[in-house]
Amino acid sequence: MSDFAQTLITAIAIGSLYALIALGYTMVYGILKFINFAHSDIVVLGAWSSYSLAVKLMPALGYSLDAVPPIWVSVVILIAAMVFCGAIGFSIERLAYRPLRRAPRLNVLITAIGVSLLLQNVGQLSFVFGASPQDMPPLLSDRTLTTITFGEGESVHQLVIGLVDVVIFATATSLMLIMQYLVFHTKLGVAMRAVSFNTETAALMGIHVDRVVSFTFVLGSTLAAAAGFLIVMKYPSISQPAHTIWVLLGLKAFVAAVIGGIGNVRGAVLGGFVIAFVEQFGAFYISSSYRDVYVFALLILILLVKPSGLLGSPLREKV
Amino acid sequence: MSHSSPETNADISNAEAMTSMPSRFGNAWTALIPIAIGIAIAMLLHFLLPSPQKNYYVKVAQITGIVIVLAVSLNIVNGMTGQFSIGHAGFMTLGGYMSATITYYGSMLLWGSTAKHGGFLGSGEWLFAASCLAGGLFAAVAGYVVGLPSLRLRGDYLAIVTLGFGEIIRVVLQQTAKVIEDPDVLANAGVAELVPPPLGGSLGFSGIPKYTSLFWVYAILTATLVVAWRLKSSSIGRAMISVREDEIAAQAMGVNIARKKVMAFVIAAFFAGIGGGLFAHSTGAVSPKDAGFQQSFDFVIMTVLGGRGSISGVTIAAILLTVLPELLRDFEQYRLIIYALLLVIMMLVRPQGLLGIHEIWDLWPRRRATVPAPTATSSVASLPTPSQELK
Amino acid sequence: MRNTPAATPTATGRPAISSETLLNIDAIGISFGGLKAVQEFSLQLPAAGLFGLIGPNGAGKTTVFNLLTGVYQPDCGEIHLASRRLSRRKPHEITAAGIARTFQNIRLFPDLSVLDNVRLAGQLHNQHGLLSTLLRTRSHRREEQVLQEKAFDLLQVFELQDRAYELASNLSYGHQRKLEIVRALATNPKVLLLDEPAAGLNPREKKLLAHSIQQIRDRFQVAVLLIEHDMPLVMEICESIIVLDHGVTICKGTPREVQNDDRVIAAYLGSGLTDD
Repeated sequence: MSDFAQTLITAIAIGSLYALIALGYTMVYGILKFINFAHSDIVVLGAWSSYSLAVKLMPALGYSLDAVPPIWVSVVILIAAMVFCGAIGFSIERLAYRPLRRAPRLNVLITAIGVSLLLQNVGQLSFVFGASPQDMPPLLSDRTLTTITFGEGESVHQLVIGLVDVVIFATATSLMLIMQYLVFHTKLGVAMRAVSFNTETAALMGIHVDRVVSFTFVLGSTLAAAAGFLIVMKYPSISQPAHTIWVLLGLKAFVAAVIGGIGNVRGAVLGGFVIAFVEQFGAFYISSSYRDVYVFALLILILLVKPSGLLGSPLREKV
Repeated sequence: MSHSSPETNADISNAEAMTSMPSRFGNAWTALIPIAIGIAIAMLLHFLLPSPQKNYYVKVAQITGIVIVLAVSLNIVNGMTGQFSIGHAGFMTLGGYMSATITYYGSMLLWGSTAKHGGFLGSGEWLFAASCLAGGLFAAVAGYVVGLPSLRLRGDYLAIVTLGFGEIIRVVLQQTAKVIEDPDVLANAGVAELVPPPLGGSLGFSGIPKYTSLFWVYAILTATLVVAWRLKSSSIGRAMISVREDEIAAQAMGVNIARKKVMAFVIAAFFAGIGGGLFAHSTGAVSPKDAGFQQSFDFVIMTVLGGRGSISGVTIAAILLTVLPELLRDFEQYRLIIYALLLVIMMLVRPQGLLGIHEIWDLWPRRRATVPAPTATSSVASLPTPSQELK
Repeated sequence: MRNTPAATPTATGRPAISSETLLNIDAIGISFGGLKAVQEFSLQLPAAGLFGLIGPNGAGKTTVFNLLTGVYQPDCGEIHLASRRLSRRKPHEITAAGIARTFQNIRLFPDLSVLDNVRLAGQLHNQHGLLSTLLRTRSHRREEQVLQEKAFDLLQVFELQDRAYELASNLSYGHQRKLEIVRALATNPKVLLLDEPAAGLNPREKKLLAHSIQQIRDRFQVAVLLIEHDMPLVMEICESIIVLDHGVTICKGTPREVQNDDRVIAAYLGSGLTDD
């Protein structure tokens, strides 16, 4: 029972990370109708820039890399990583995707793959992040917040709720709430949804489409950066930028977006949690070696049963 | 109203049909002539050039041949049919493992050793050829399974499914047990040792007999090129291209688009599997990470660079992208950066690829049997009068 | 959106059934979200009939074509060709059964040659297998040859044979429209659906088109259903006309009956129909 609850807590924390990343995929797909392959590399960029900032900033401020610095240092690193990745996301859209706005979707997809490869391999260069894994200095003490004990006698169980999991969940949730507000309660959000619904009509209604697209990329990239930051908080050993583990992470987040119904913001969040639950509980109850396989099996199942995803609406091609 | 009679017209179109086809004789066996010529050339190469194990340049030539097989087969899916598979290395690896299992354990059971058996075209080589075929068939079955979801998916979703497929293959192969090295152990192994098959786990399957030679590579390359060309210039190829151009219109013209997509997938996977067998028996080892997406990207870049559906273009791109990195080994860490930039710049500047939809021989002006213009003045639609009979 | 009266399918006049019915459409309908794009659309098209389907923009005309060709599945109703049920079939099966169409916004295969566009449509009824293709068997080559001859014959009828080896995308607009019709005819249809074939043509070309549509009908023995905005053309060549407005059939009848129908005039707000 406690193992079940413990898996549940991990699944919620991981799920909120998937949801954060999936939001970036789903927003770009909703507006430009293409899979931004480079999105997972923005997550990597977020993780690695957090690391670089931490190892540069902490000694400069007089903190040891081994001790836990005050909380504001983490906040500064998080915000700096988000700003940096937002700027990168903006530039990618501007330089690589915007010239292809009217090109066939396949060309844009190929470009996205190219951008993804570029980010990975530039990141691997020795003067950028390097091609070897690194350890993130501790920014938070991974202390136990509370321990819930239940059961009695032989079957006494302890449920541990760690600070990191709570921070991940809280940060991710507040970011998602801010995003929800932006998309559904601001003028820019209305513009975003209008462009997503019909780009030409939105443009005719006086919406500055390019600006909306840029905004979407910046928003998605900042969320990805936050996810990258939170990932290295939970798993401090960071794999090199071109490691398969990052690609798998991005893929699973994309699967989350598809399962929730691509283009649907709430669906992405739902999908993120669904994926995390399937992965964590599959790993727990069946075998942890095949955790990636469960996710893809679920993807194929959903695509066969309900291709438009849990919350998505079916697309019709205009003939 | 006058127009040239159906008979003359038919004659001319016959002539055109003849000149546009590689074999212009009636006998069905002549259809195998290109393959026979290819095999003869492959044999010449085999006997005239030194062994790939001894000569670096021959080795590069051998690798290039295998890479062309993989790139040209991927082009059937990505270039001709307009789907977007980025799991080609997954099929390649499946075929590689399948054929390696057959030759490695097969040799062990048949001849008590995993060393090469027999000389040129000896029994060992035939076992190797059969194992490559089995690898191709196995990959083709996998291609069918992966191709099925493409019935319902558009190109970009398919990319994700194929990418996921490659990763699943990798994960599953990593879970396999250590390769059995002792024939006696194999002879006494029970079900528990053989299921799941001992394929080396994450370290990879090594010690595979190195049967791959210039002869086999270039013979199979010939077969691949002939198949690709015959597909492209047939009604099946036209239907595949129509799927790429416009799925809705293709359906409206009676094309079963789902079937064509799956067919493209299965054919491509078949050749990828054979290519995987060639690779495995060339280096003597296969590894789960070969199935990863990074490997697939190399082939994707070749198809994009060469041109959509252009067999000669993709062949040239495959040669360039295999030979150049060999010459520029010092720049290895920049290789993928250059590839990535190449992809992005290509899409911005020349999205149709170097040769676009054309073949290299289209670039030289060619005399064509033209149909004589009818004498009637051109108007929007001057149909023959109802009394005239159409064939 | 304007509130339309719940019109009965046959508003004026009885459906003009001149001979035995080839294509029988029985009360098909579809809605997108809450919008009823087409409601209770019925039509009996006789063999070799030439019917017009008209209505203001957004009336649901192309949607009817999409329903007939299986691009959309009707929510209700049945479609029969001769006695064969076609509703809920896949588009390629419907084409094989004998309904061919052209597209309002030209949808040729731009990177295939003119000849290949036609051959592709023509190969529908003689598809050979993968093995005979790869082995280039004698029967395969013969079939390819027959296909090519038939394609040239058709191209010749429309005087496109000189352009046979050009890419479809290099043709002029008028020729592309023609090629769309050739391509549809190459599938050897019993019913031909033409979606605004005269769009973008000049008056002289329109006149010639009107003539050739009639000729196609007689020559190839096909029933033609025509969507067209050019009223004089429709009135001149169609035997019977169906008028759609907001997905509802508001009138059916001969050109004269339709022209004098109040509801039709109201739907068009006096435009197009009244000035002849």
